[in-house]
Amino acid sequence: MATRGRAPIILASSLVLLAAPAAFAAPPETPPPPAEPEPEPEPEPEPSADDDDAPTVSAEDLLRMQRRLDALESEVEHLRGELDDARDAQAEPEPEPESAPKPAPKPKPKPGPLSVGSVRDGQRAPDYADGFHFGSYGRVVAAGDARGRPGRDADIVGRGSRFDESTYAELELRREDHWEQTGAYTRVVATVAVRHPIFHYNGDFEAAIALRNLYIEELDLGLKGLSFWAGSRMYRGDDIYVLDWWPLDNLNTIGGGAGYQFKGGSFIKVHAGVNQPTTSFYRQLVARPLPLNQPGETDVAILDRQQILTSYKIGHVFDIGESGGGVKLVGYGETHHVRAGQRELSGESREFEEVPADNGYVAGGELSLFTGKRSTHLNLWVRHAWDLAAYGEFARPFQLAPDATTKGARELVVALGGNYEVSFFGVMMGAYFRRFRNASPDLDVHDLNEGIVLVRPQFWFGKVAGAAIEGSYQAQQRAVFPGLEDDTSGPLFSSLWRVGVMPFWAPAGRGSYARPHIRAWYMVTIRDEGARSLYALDDVFSVRPVDHLIGFGAEWWFGSTSYFRD
Amino acid sequence: MHKTASQDPRARAKRGCRAAGPSQETAKTGTPWIRRLALAASLVPLLVPAGSCLNFEGYEQTPELTTEVDDWRDEVIYQILVDRFANGDKGNDYRVQLGAPARYHGGDWQGIEDKLPYLQELGVTTLWISPVIKNVETDADVDGYHGYWAQDFTELNPHFGDLVALRRLVDAAHERDMLVIIDIVANHVGQLFYYDINLNGHADEQLQGNGIDSPVTYINEYDPDFDARGIQSFTSLGEAGPAPIIFGNDPATNHMPPNPAVFRNPAVYNRKGRTLDFEVEDQLLHGDFPGGLKDVDTTRCDVKEAFVDVYARIIEQTNADGFRIDTIKHVEHEFWRYFSQRVRQRLALQGKTNFFMFGEAFDGRDDLVGSFTQQLPPGEAELDCAGGGPALTSDQLDSAFYFPQYFQAVRDVLQQAQSTDRIQALWEQRPTTWGTEPASGGVGIAPADIPVNFLDNHDVPRFLYNVRELDIAVQRKLLHNALVFLYTAPGVPCLYYGTEQEFRGGNDPANREDLWDSGFDQTGATFQWIARLAKVRKAYASLRRGELAVTWSSARTGDEEDAGIFAFERNGGTNKNGYSLVVINSNQVHASHTAFEGAAMTVLAPAGATLEDVLSGDTWTVADDGTLDVTVEAMSAVILVPAGDVVSLN
Repeated sequence: MATRGRAPIILASSLVLLAAPAAFAAPPETPPPPAEPEPEPEPEPEPSADDDDAPTVSAEDLLRMQRRLDALESEVEHLRGELDDARDAQAEPEPEPESAPKPAPKPKPKPGPLSVGSVRDGQRAPDYADGFHFGSYGRVVAAGDARGRPGRDADIVGRGSRFDESTYAELELRREDHWEQTGAYTRVVATVAVRHPIFHYNGDFEAAIALRNLYIEELDLGLKGLSFWAGSRMYRGDDIYVLDWWPLDNLNTIGGGAGYQFKGGSFIKVHAGVNQPTTSFYRQLVARPLPLNQPGETDVAILDRQQILTSYKIGHVFDIGESGGGVKLVGYGETHHVRAGQRELSGESREFEEVPADNGYVAGGELSLFTGKRSTHLNLWVRHAWDLAAYGEFARPFQLAPDATTKGARELVVALGGNYEVSFFGVMMGAYFRRFRNASPDLDVHDLNEGIVLVRPQFWFGKVAGAAIEGSYQAQQRAVFPGLEDDTSGPLFSSLWRVGVMPFWAPAGRGSYARPHIRAWYMVTIRDEGARSLYALDDVFSVRPVDHLIGFGAEWWFGSTSYFRD
Repeated sequence: MHKTASQDPRARAKRGCRAAGPSQETAKTGTPWIRRLALAASLVPLLVPAGSCLNFEGYEQTPELTTEVDDWRDEVIYQILVDRFANGDKGNDYRVQLGAPARYHGGDWQGIEDKLPYLQELGVTTLWISPVIKNVETDADVDGYHGYWAQDFTELNPHFGDLVALRRLVDAAHERDMLVIIDIVANHVGQLFYYDINLNGHADEQLQGNGIDSPVTYINEYDPDFDARGIQSFTSLGEAGPAPIIFGNDPATNHMPPNPAVFRNPAVYNRKGRTLDFEVEDQLLHGDFPGGLKDVDTTRCDVKEAFVDVYARIIEQTNADGFRIDTIKHVEHEFWRYFSQRVRQRLALQGKTNFFMFGEAFDGRDDLVGSFTQQLPPGEAELDCAGGGPALTSDQLDSAFYFPQYFQAVRDVLQQAQSTDRIQALWEQRPTTWGTEPASGGVGIAPADIPVNFLDNHDVPRFLYNVRELDIAVQRKLLHNALVFLYTAPGVPCLYYGTEQEFRGGNDPANREDLWDSGFDQTGATFQWIARLAKVRKAYASLRRGELAVTWSSARTGDEEDAGIFAFERNGGTNKNGYSLVVINSNQVHASHTAFEGAAMTVLAPAGATLEDVLSGDTWTVADDGTLDVTVEAMSAVILVPAGDVVSLN
């Protein structure tokens, strides 16, 4: 039953929520951080000792207070921006006449630009407010190569520029309640995602749709600071927006988890879940005659095993100074496990081979530095995955070890992501190095080193428009050689340069993470011979040393739990 | 040679080395303290890649060519069907279907490298491996696992591994004083095109004729019957001229136009359809090999040059030591002159000499087989292909796969106990049917002195299959006896993989079993027997290099006292161990001896010399008249050497 009489607690919780700077995460398909107000840290209020004595508040009052709170937060953010600008102006070498104090701005009806990147973590209650809520991330893209072909991902590394991403959207409906009897908060989340192509592109009345969230989450049930959830969930940490990537943790399972937020800024989270990627590594269906002498056939799962995943995260946020800045340290681990099974040999009726059990592990960490001002932050991740985990969550393990397991596979990731903003200027960056070796003892085409450095400076013209310029260099080294005709001196090295420009309208004002944007873009890609050789014969990318991309579209996000930090 | 860091193949792979990592990026943050921390953090990505590069330990470099052999007669060749020998890398297991003998089974070059100790224990010194180039994947539900269906001469067969794996195999073999021979084909390519006989642009199987006015004829456009005019197109109005050929375009089965480009020219194919009668020279040389394998016009200069280029290139990229050449009798002698000479010249310039090339002519006619090793002068017309290179001479191949001996000695005598005099007759032909002069720049041995001997191979039933009706103990005795013959006869012994495990498969593909099913057992009687024979052969140079003299053979096959006896001396070789005498009794019923009706075998060993059987330790003494009467049990043999020359095999 939803509460009707807990206004102080709700308000206090809302403040706690707002006090915790937002963090960001997005699905592999893209979503960046949502626009949420960045609050000042405030002491977390203790829950009332006697719930029965708590004053009651009507729903209308609650809504009114929530709006007021939003407006106050917006004002705080606005004032911060003004203060920053003033300080920047004072830092200029040439003295300028002191401007008269500005009147306090009027509260805006909507929150201002967000502050994001990396911040503190923990089980905060993100904007719990009774009732139904709608949130979304989306981008819609119309793009081409200036030669009549549609836009296409031209990166040769796993994670590259977002300029050439295709249409994708998430539509989230959630229900949030505070329960008077228990003092707990409940959130039920359902997120539907749709990807390209959509109807207005191909005219097909069908779509690729996935239900990417369907879970229930409880906070403060039985113990203040304790949270747990169950269901199907995108489960993530911090991301690198410009690479559309969660370098440390990004799991998609059906399962559940729990966490605890300590008062001093520490937090701990655990999770366990299952999934079963649609690959022959996990499942094999074979036809068998129907039983009891019935005519016909039915499919029987000879191999039918799930991947069991667990994850563990522990961290602490150190506040530095009074400006909202700080440092976050995170330690992270995963385990992956599949049980043994058997598989029918190809082409052989009832001839089986043993499929051994498999395991995988991840260990990693994050160092996050943030100023508390305009989403300025720098994140460093280091992640190492062993065996089954090295292949990724949904991948079909390939190039196996001689014992048909993934033993020996390794993935090392070192990544950097960050954002800096001052006045009308901002710069986002992402970079990583990735080393992957499959389980096969010999090096082969699937064994690689790769990396990218991407920088996206951007300028705002006033507060309604801006332009981003993006430059990146990416390179990859694969353990493969050219044909017999060429002398060899090393494995294949491929690289490409990309430079692009993206003017945009920004109704939400300045801020790297402020959305929505309506935008256009152009990007040139310069690929070397090695990069061209990665494509099949007659693929245009195999013959074009220079490629162009021209696009127009929109991107937005708001109110979606996918981008709440939790 | 490459440097080999470790004998453990597993230890060689996937080590860290150099790498170009992402550049440093910094981000300015709000406070100096955080800024310093940020700078430090941003340096971390620079440090990690330093230990993450792809390390091939030198195998990424095109190797320097080296000569690894002195006298090819010292070698023991082991024929490996790569797909069936050992699966060392599951990463290249595409299309594997273990239960189907005609499908890929997963063996690869890594597997061979892993099992080199096994082969060394067996006494093998040279590996003959399946063709290495990219093949048609599958055709009519049969896979190209054997390697004889070439599609791309510029790429390796990915089922077997990559260039590094092949280079490493060759290098690992060399490290163990072993050599590698690569199988090649120049007669044909895979079934890469069809004849568009009905001009409809589609590969058809059709019936023509109505059975009344004309016969009903079945035509498969992939594999039509031979037509000396060239395959003709045909419509309802009658013949319409040469049928165009259309290359496949199916990447999934790799029915794709061939590489390099010269093989995409229709004119380089004879286009006469399937050979029906190998006795007809036009069909033998110009017909497609049964199964739709398209015959190449090997008289063309561009074809000759292309084959030299693509196959020499494999050696240049791997430092392998020889070629076994498929289907040589279906190719003109002029091609072999050009090919063998140009390959020798090209490799010699880079440091590879003593490069061994032996061909396979699946034929019992010794004159035909030997003709590819003889000195046959080039015709006027073929000199045009010499271009600016050295003048073409009469040289051809270094040797040939000794199929006549397979039929007349192994099958007739050692399996069927027919008279042994046929072996003598065959051997006595060789100085006239085979070349007697070493090819210039070749292996330095007259072809007649270095036939490649074998008991069975991938094209014939295994030895034990042909004696399957006999008692199992008798089968083994016959095999062991034949192995003595194989390891002591003049030439180079070539052992078909699996013989040591007593495999007994019938005709192709049943004779291409998976060796791993044996568990690579080294304790079996036949494995031990072969290993011992290899040691004997290695210990006594006369068995490898000695001059041949047949000292006894018999036309008798019944209960006569010498029925089944075949004896021959090997004399010379080196200063030491200069004499050996091999006496084989192929009779399957009784012991026989080297005498008949009072006349005993005369030997070169001096009177009074004591000869010791290196297999049993028994001794015999040469009589005062220079004769030696040796009794040998049924299906057994002795290898006699002067007692003073006997060495320990341990």
